Amino acid sequence: MSDLATAIVFWPAAALMLGTALYVFITSSMARAGLLLLASLGVEGLVFLALASEFLGFLQLLMMSGEMVIMVFFMVMFMPDPGGLMGMDMTHDKRRSASVAIAIAVGLAVVAVLTDWPARVAGTDAPDVRAIGYEVMGRSMVSFLFAAMTILLAMVGGVLLAKHGGRFGIPAPAGEQRGQEND
Amino acid sequence: MVSLPVVLAAGAVMFGIGLYGALGQTNTIMVIMGVELMLGAAMLNVVGFLRYSHPHGTSGNFFVLVVMTLMAVEAAVGFALVVSVFRHRRTAEVDDLTDLKG
Repeated sequence: MSDLATAIVFWPAAALMLGTALYVFITSSMARAGLLLLASLGVEGLVFLALASEFLGFLQLLMMSGEMVIMVFFMVMFMPDPGGLMGMDMTHDKRRSASVAIAIAVGLAVVAVLTDWPARVAGTDAPDVRAIGYEVMGRSMVSFLFAAMTILLAMVGGVLLAKHGGRFGIPAPAGEQRGQEND
Repeated sequence: MVSLPVVLAAGAVMFGIGLYGALGQTNTIMVIMGVELMLGAAMLNVVGFLRYSHPHGTSGNFFVLVVMTLMAVEAAVGFALVVSVFRHRRTAEVDDLTDLKG
């Protein structure tokens, strides 16, 4: 991909990615926030494509689509006002959080711009998928297996944590369920 | 045109947005969403370095794969914790979980 094509795709995609990411924490509708996060991370896949990482771009789109759809289900299940119809404010320490986040973002951006990075290496063609496959199934095989085992352990641990009674077999306390106090 | 500092600066802004969400939201699911954005910013940085300083390398792609794995694992364990906490406390608000507060 040429530099011009990269710029044409990168700038709008990056703006959309950051705009949707910011709107995730501005909107009062939690279901909408989940879909905006899906949009943000999906558009990040487009940014990857613009940066000549086709494999990672498509993988990002696939992974985030699945993950964010699951996240929307959890939001609808566990949030008191998923539709944002009651106008609930679900934030705390807003000003301090924003100050810390802005300070860190500006600091990182300044470091990124002022650092004397190594000169750009010639060539814009990303390695083809076959080369990435040889990397994953060759030199990085042990690390790849470790990542796979981590996912397996997370699945087993997640099921153990989430099952009725939890990992110690202690049942949830009876009564005092939300929404039943006034019955 | 696009250069490495531009990509890194975009990653820095995305990291800041994610940090704002993780610090400022009261619901656990929203905190997880903030962490997801921070990890997304880390991936963007790695892809930027891949493109501009190591365009023909393959090991960087693998590193992004590991970060994606981390995102999935973080979400899975986080959701399991939310389910467990919700069973016992009937809430997923971080402000209500203050047992370790001195």
